[in-house]
Amino acid sequence: MVIEQKIRDYILENYLFTDDQSVLNNNDSFLDKGIIDSTGILEVIYFIEEEFAIRVNDEDMIPENLDSINNIVTFIEQKQRVA
Amino acid sequence: MFYSMVQRVPEADAIIHGESRVTYEKLWNLSCSVAQYLNQQGMQKDERVSILLENSAEYVAIYYGAQAAGGVAVGLNTAAKARDLENWIRHCGATWLFANESHPELLKLLQRLDNNVKIIILGKNNNIETGNDWNSIVNIDASNFSLSKLDNPNTAATIIYTSGTTGSPKGVTLSHKNLVSNIQSILAYLKLSKNDRILNVLPFYYTYGNSVLHTHLSVGGSIILENSMMYPNRILEKIVNEKVTGFSGVPSTFALLLGRTNLRDYDLSSVRYMTQAGGPMPPAKIRQLMDNIPHIKFFVMYGQTEASARLTYLPPEQLFNKIGSIGKPIPGVEIEIRDEYDNIVCGREIGEICARGNNIMLGYWEDMDATNKVIKNGWLHTGDLAHQDADGYIYIDGRSSEMIKTGANRISPKEIEEIITEIPQVQEAVVVGVPDEILGQIIKAVIVIRQNNVLKKLDVQSYCKNNLADYKVPKIIEFTNEIPKTSSGKIQRFKLQ
Repeated sequence: MVIEQKIRDYILENYLFTDDQSVLNNNDSFLDKGIIDSTGILEVIYFIEEEFAIRVNDEDMIPENLDSINNIVTFIEQKQRVA
Repeated sequence: MFYSMVQRVPEADAIIHGESRVTYEKLWNLSCSVAQYLNQQGMQKDERVSILLENSAEYVAIYYGAQAAGGVAVGLNTAAKARDLENWIRHCGATWLFANESHPELLKLLQRLDNNVKIIILGKNNNIETGNDWNSIVNIDASNFSLSKLDNPNTAATIIYTSGTTGSPKGVTLSHKNLVSNIQSILAYLKLSKNDRILNVLPFYYTYGNSVLHTHLSVGGSIILENSMMYPNRILEKIVNEKVTGFSGVPSTFALLLGRTNLRDYDLSSVRYMTQAGGPMPPAKIRQLMDNIPHIKFFVMYGQTEASARLTYLPPEQLFNKIGSIGKPIPGVEIEIRDEYDNIVCGREIGEICARGNNIMLGYWEDMDATNKVIKNGWLHTGDLAHQDADGYIYIDGRSSEMIKTGANRISPKEIEEIITEIPQVQEAVVVGVPDEILGQIIKAVIVIRQNNVLKKLDVQSYCKNNLADYKVPKIIEFTNEIPKTSSGKIQRFKLQ
């Protein structure tokens, strides 16, 4: 829950400019909903790397890892298990 | 030009989008159905048909169908908010709107529009009742349709809005002759053929994407659509899988590819050419790209919407000799570098790029004043400062205006300032572009808060997001007691950058 809430708060603050939790579902596609664009995702990656001390490699930059809160949480947990 | 390809390569793929492959014949039939529908509904010549759709075969069919019916196609920026969209539709007096039901601003937009705009909604759910059914339109028999309404190449074919929604939006109005002239010039140097398959990430509602669309469909080539650069590895996978021969981008497109992929991991042998426009690409990035894919022809290009897209190109064989240059005029275009008195400058002196040719716009829609400020005696004054070397190659030295160029978008600071100033707690706001490695520039707002008021960064960004396209929301916000000005009161923007 901690990872999820941190990601959620970051997205809400930096891309939706609100603290209303109800506007974003955990399985909403950032791409399909136009929430984040191609440079925004780089900022998300930077945030993830800094906040969770993991490395997002170029080949990790795929929708399955990054395109929703759920996907990011699963990705981070996998990375942390491997580390 | 598209119709001649329909006759030559009817079974070739025109538009590929995900799993969908639309042939030239099918695209033509769909366009004719749209045109027939508009005629049946009594559309008059030169009526404006606005289109609010992402890049898709449907977008293309409506665009060409509107023109075939004698109308003017107006592609709308899908990232814009309802307020902007309404302003553009009203400004050009559009009487038609084709829109996707899933557009997040659609319901708000429909509430703002007058009843004289006929609405056609595309989508699966049919939740919005407008009385005009897309599914019926696509089945209209248009086998007897003729292109008789396309009888005057000098009439308006399309309007492209470049900036500014508050106050006076600028609708660049291009004729059929403008578009055809520019297509023919571009084909002459890109040497496109029916064997070319371009992967397109550029929006059709902007001039660069619009140009990619027309040039490739004019030779029987295929356009593979990807509507986002968010996952650049997926772009490269698609280039490999679809055996793509061409790719076009703005500097931020290539920055993403170079920064977040390893190009050498992909077999890009099918790629014959890449083109780059939409702002200066750092020479170091050009070298890095060519180190990774040395076999391609890389075309640096320059232009403006007001020029139907293209004004100059740098021949690939000169890329390293003349790196940093935007090249020389394309066929059919004349360029002069002029000083503030409209005289041609000498030698390497810096002046304004001025251009003449059949590709120069008819003007800004219903705005002779703005048109006359940029087109003087048939010459387009671009607002870009440049000089020429001894061989006649042109190098950009900057812009003479305050426009912010971020990614592929050209933004007027004024329109963002006007929005921010609507916030009650704001006394004054100035918006400038500051350098960014990926985007070229990002937007910074400097704000003076009214005395005894409180305002947070999130409040400003939230208000901007609700009223402007997302890419216009300032990334940097500073609060200050005073905006720097000259003794005559002119804002000194350079001190804020």
